[in-house]
Amino acid sequence: MLNKSALSALALMVAAPVAQAADFEFWYGNTGTGEEAIQSACTAFNESQSEHRVSCVGQGSYETGMQKAIAAYRSQQHPVLIQFFDAGTLDLMLSGAVLPVQDVAPDVDWGDYINGARSFYETSTGELFSQPYNGSTLIFYGNRELLAQAGVDELPQTWEGVIEAARVLKDAGIDCPFTTDAHPWRVLEQFSARHGLSIASRNNGYGGLDAEYTFNTGPVAEHLQNLAAWRDEGLVKLDADTAAGKYTTAFNSGECAMMEGSTGSYGAAFAALGDKVEIAMAPMYEGYDRHNTLIGGASIWVMKGHDEPSYNGARAFLDFLRGDAQQIEFTRITGYVPVTNSGLAALEAAGLSGDPQFATAGVGVESLNQPASEDSRGVRLGFYVQFRDIFMEETQKAFTGGQDMQAALDAAAARGNDLLRRFEQTYEGTKLP
Amino acid sequence: MKQEIFRSRWLPWWLSAPQLIVLFLFFYLPIALAFFWAFHLEQPFGGRSEFVGLENFRRVLGSGEFWSSAGATLLYMVLASGTSILTALILALAADRALKLSPLARNVFIWPKAVASASIGVIFVFILNPFLGILAPLNEIWPGFWNPRTNVTHTYIMLFVTNVWNAIPFTFIILLAGLQAIPQELHKAGAMDGSGPWRRLWDIQLPLLTPQLFVVIVLEVADSLSGSFGLIDTMTNGGPGGATNLLVYKIYSDGFKAYDLSGAATQTVILMALVACITGFQYVFLERKVNYDR
Repeated sequence: MLNKSALSALALMVAAPVAQAADFEFWYGNTGTGEEAIQSACTAFNESQSEHRVSCVGQGSYETGMQKAIAAYRSQQHPVLIQFFDAGTLDLMLSGAVLPVQDVAPDVDWGDYINGARSFYETSTGELFSQPYNGSTLIFYGNRELLAQAGVDELPQTWEGVIEAARVLKDAGIDCPFTTDAHPWRVLEQFSARHGLSIASRNNGYGGLDAEYTFNTGPVAEHLQNLAAWRDEGLVKLDADTAAGKYTTAFNSGECAMMEGSTGSYGAAFAALGDKVEIAMAPMYEGYDRHNTLIGGASIWVMKGHDEPSYNGARAFLDFLRGDAQQIEFTRITGYVPVTNSGLAALEAAGLSGDPQFATAGVGVESLNQPASEDSRGVRLGFYVQFRDIFMEETQKAFTGGQDMQAALDAAAARGNDLLRRFEQTYEGTKLP
Repeated sequence: MKQEIFRSRWLPWWLSAPQLIVLFLFFYLPIALAFFWAFHLEQPFGGRSEFVGLENFRRVLGSGEFWSSAGATLLYMVLASGTSILTALILALAADRALKLSPLARNVFIWPKAVASASIGVIFVFILNPFLGILAPLNEIWPGFWNPRTNVTHTYIMLFVTNVWNAIPFTFIILLAGLQAIPQELHKAGAMDGSGPWRRLWDIQLPLLTPQLFVVIVLEVADSLSGSFGLIDTMTNGGPGGATNLLVYKIYSDGFKAYDLSGAATQTVILMALVACITGFQYVFLERKVNYDR
């Protein structure tokens, strides 16, 4: 039988987080340079004041963080703040487990956030649900030294140009001209947004839960068929084709000459390759007008069910992270871009915009600020995290020769639509905020 | 010997309570929850849970992925348990003979048991890496000779090799113990009657080893259904293209990565039924052939 002292010890352990109200938790998913930047921000916050104390807990990945948050929320052990990535936006909005950040901190000038960051995380009435944090977007990377070996002086701006350069690089003996992991964030979402296309009806789900996937016909399908053909030609390498086993590592180690990647990968690339790295906006197909790319990375959500002192701490921490100095420091370490206009202005004013360490701020924000369309606001689709896995699984079958690309995309769309219908049913009667 | 009689009706319950509590918390309660969720549509963060009858089963059984995953699971079950039992049997037969180094071999073969399957997965991913591993030189000569990252057949070979390495110790110990328990007189009598080692293997050793073989088949088959998780999670993540997305991994990724608690619970119920059927089948049909008499 459990004795009384053991029971009370157990009760103390459970009650501990509530007892010291100024202590609160923040869960994040980044690893590597992103994690270093987050931890140093947490330390800086704790040193900057004595009233509140944040403990920042790394969960290993965004997905793991969400899994643990779900389990923790169900047992009422969840943190006050959790960082979660773009793909989970609608799942969290409808979860009933979060408070809109704009309600928690109504006095903040939320209009200061750049449009590309706002549109992804705001409701139909223009209210921000979460605070954009590590904002990234898709850009194009080149290894100056490898490109110069083949006589390619400038990063190509179009896919036609990319492939022409890739052929030249291949002939010059560079085994891996261009690398990508063909992740849907890169080849589907960012591709569609900047070409002014939608991936699903109802403006990517912004119009309602009854949206359906539409990407399997048209330019996205052509692009993926091109990628498969280019891969067969030896011009494009996916993760599994590279010696490094991962496209970013393959680029950073000098195995590959070009890659499409997040601005968040810039910190590691710059650390590995120094000024050999050059970046530009992601390439377009000829004949399309350029639209904005989507904000990637992650935002911070406020979870329900905590007491007021914890929320006070959370507000102070969110204010601290939003500050210009913190945003500039975060950009310096990681390559994530500043997400507020004042942060950008401060970066400019400090004369840092020409510094190669801050190169992503210029290119990334320029890409985010291209003309918007109704379909380049973001992705507002349910169970989207799972859809990304499905998209990867089906297209991988096509890349490894199990089925052709069109069949893969049709299958991905069909399976995706099943998910959307189930999401609709799971949240039946819930209105899109 | 003096026989003690415990009068208290509660004492047996008190004594077995720790085990019962653990069983209840970690086995019966999750199973009950799985059954509950299988008939409900559950929101990930709690909130609302709606009774949907057999809707989840209709959805799961109507999806192509479930059936391809179930097919891959059965294929894996047969090949993984087959290869590991056969390898262990050959090694046990070899170690049982009076060879010079067999005491050493009996010891060495047991070591891999001490390594967790996830660790073995990580190690073998490196050993079998197409660019850096032991087969990399062959890839240099014949490009594409070995690539478990993209070639489904290679991926399965990689899993089987790793699984065999992982499963040998336990199976080996049981089979070797069985072989050693066979009386020497039988061997001697057989040898005096002029039968060679092969003859004695078929007529004496294997028939007398059937109880141990039965045990390892039951255990290995059940283990290949659930124990493959560690290997798949560290080696393939269900890829390439979902080819190694066995049921046990699919349940995990549907439930935890995709927040589909209802679908995952439904598949758990189906997998449980499958394991129960297969084990029951083995007891009903295989055990008849087991010879317990010596």
